[in-house]
Amino acid sequence: MPSANVTMTVREAAPRVRVVDIVGEITAFSEEEITRAHEEAARGGVDAVILNFEGLDYMNSGGIGLLVTTLIRAQRSGHRLLACGLTDHYRQILALTRIDEAIEVFDDEASAVAAV
Amino acid sequence: MMLERLRRRRSENGGGPAAGTPLSQTRLIDPIPIPPGDPLETVLLSAGGPVGVADLELVSGTLDAVRAAGVELIVPLIGQGELIGALYLGPRLSDQPYSSDDRRLLGGLAAQVAPAMRVAQLIREQQAEAKERERIEQELKVAALIQQTLLPKELPSIPGWHVSAFYRPARAVGGDFYDFIPLADGRLGVVIGDVTDKGVPAALVMATCRSMLRSAAQKHDSPSKVLAEVNDALVPEIPAAMFVTCLYAIIDTGAGDVVLANAGHNLPYMQTEDGVVELRAAGMPLGLMPGMDYEEKRYTMGSGETMVLTSDGITEAHDPDGEMYGFGRLMARVARRADDMVVALVDDLESFAGPDAEQEDDITLVVVRRSHSAQVSAMAFGAGELLDSFAVRSEEGNERAAVTRMAEAVAPLGFDRRDLERLQTAVAETVMNAIEHGNEGRPELEVGVEVWATDDVVSVRVTDQGGAREIPEPQTPDLEAKLAGLQTPRGWGLFLVEKMVDDVRSTSDGSTHTVELIMKRKGALR
Repeated sequence: MPSANVTMTVREAAPRVRVVDIVGEITAFSEEEITRAHEEAARGGVDAVILNFEGLDYMNSGGIGLLVTTLIRAQRSGHRLLACGLTDHYRQILALTRIDEAIEVFDDEASAVAAV
Repeated sequence: MMLERLRRRRSENGGGPAAGTPLSQTRLIDPIPIPPGDPLETVLLSAGGPVGVADLELVSGTLDAVRAAGVELIVPLIGQGELIGALYLGPRLSDQPYSSDDRRLLGGLAAQVAPAMRVAQLIREQQAEAKERERIEQELKVAALIQQTLLPKELPSIPGWHVSAFYRPARAVGGDFYDFIPLADGRLGVVIGDVTDKGVPAALVMATCRSMLRSAAQKHDSPSKVLAEVNDALVPEIPAAMFVTCLYAIIDTGAGDVVLANAGHNLPYMQTEDGVVELRAAGMPLGLMPGMDYEEKRYTMGSGETMVLTSDGITEAHDPDGEMYGFGRLMARVARRADDMVVALVDDLESFAGPDAEQEDDITLVVVRRSHSAQVSAMAFGAGELLDSFAVRSEEGNERAAVTRMAEAVAPLGFDRRDLERLQTAVAETVMNAIEHGNEGRPELEVGVEVWATDDVVSVRVTDQGGAREIPEPQTPDLEAKLAGLQTPRGWGLFLVEKMVDDVRSTSDGSTHTVELIMKRKGALR
């Protein structure tokens, strides 16, 4: 199995709001990494986790499945899951798959943070 | 008054009518029906009371029978001017002739009995009718059940084609049927038929005919041979005076070629740019006599052309004035373009027949349209210039390499970023599917990729070794279902592929399975 070609780093953007910067690919192989990053971002309780896709260079349907899994985890922990920094192409894919009805999508990090 | 008289007569006779007479002397006269229109009926209706048989001079078989039975007096039972029945009386037990008093008494009795008789008759008729209605309802239910069980549950899903069907049974379920038979090499068999007669017998013949067609369709590539075989098989099986009209068409969904034969069914109509074309092919209905030949008709469907198959429940529907819908109207409606031909035809028929019309016969419609994009793909498939051809091993993640190489191959074509990204996602999902599903993730198997281009389109063909396996259906993403664990992202991948490119076609040859992704080159096609 090829390694996950992705790094995810967590930082605080505002009180109780953490951002996950995603650099690389989101495929079925990214499961471990996204699980770890989301846990880290949610640690101690937050109002929202923002997935920042500015560094994304590839996402497939396996990766979309992981977003849904992450969404389920966020709902269980009682915080919102937001997304920002998506290209038009991936924004369209989230719209076609109607993921954007459950994960709010913003142009950039600042507007995502402001919306929390 | 009646009772009074009766009592008086009894006392006059010194007791009841049979007093002092042994019962053995009485005899029951068998009922002798009086057929409507018999001269005796006329006499009894106009007599105004009991009629002595000896006084009658009539040429009537009934009167002869009445005389032969030893009847002396007929007491007509009349209600509302109709002869409801008659009492036949033999000679009086006292051997005296019937007196005028006797006749008056009997006449009075008859006047009282007749209405009660009528009521009893009506009740009996109603009970018989209700029983018959119940039996018919039950039979209709069984017939409808047989028919519904055998009609296709799903419509064929073929890229570049749109197939739709409509079936609405009449209350007295006729014998309409239709069927889709998947054949080798991406061909599709389409059946529409009608069994003469209704109810359970028709439904059973339909079931037999359907199985015969399905079996013959796998044996012969020619529709005329299929119909000839079914005809020969059906003749010894089918009840006398029953037969089946049936049209069988084989559609080559790649090239658009249609070959059909027709066993006396409604003509199929082809909606084309130049109007409606009737596809005539001569042939006798199935089940009449063995050894029949069926003519074959060929037609190549172009993009945007629509084939309409109907049953006579449509053409023979009537408007409130009794005028028939007819072939002329059907053809005129088919000639007008419609987004959904089935809906357009049904609407047209309903507005013709009027809101209160009871549907006289089953209505069946099968509509097969070749979509515009299919033409694009037909031009591209295997045609044009091969830009690149390569293979990746069936290991998860290798779709990335395929996408990168495909992108390099199409770089000179100058796709804009948006279209290129869409093509990349489509190729990625298709290759993933080939790896995981088609080749079941077996690394020794390869996924072949060919990149073709014409002036108009780019075509990427992805081939795996899963030709014998069924192709999964794309799933429309439903987040609720996904959250409930009812959907997997794999089905979403296929859904995305269809959204990313202009057309998706797939072909299987039993060992390999090829998906072709078509994207128009901007400016080349409108």
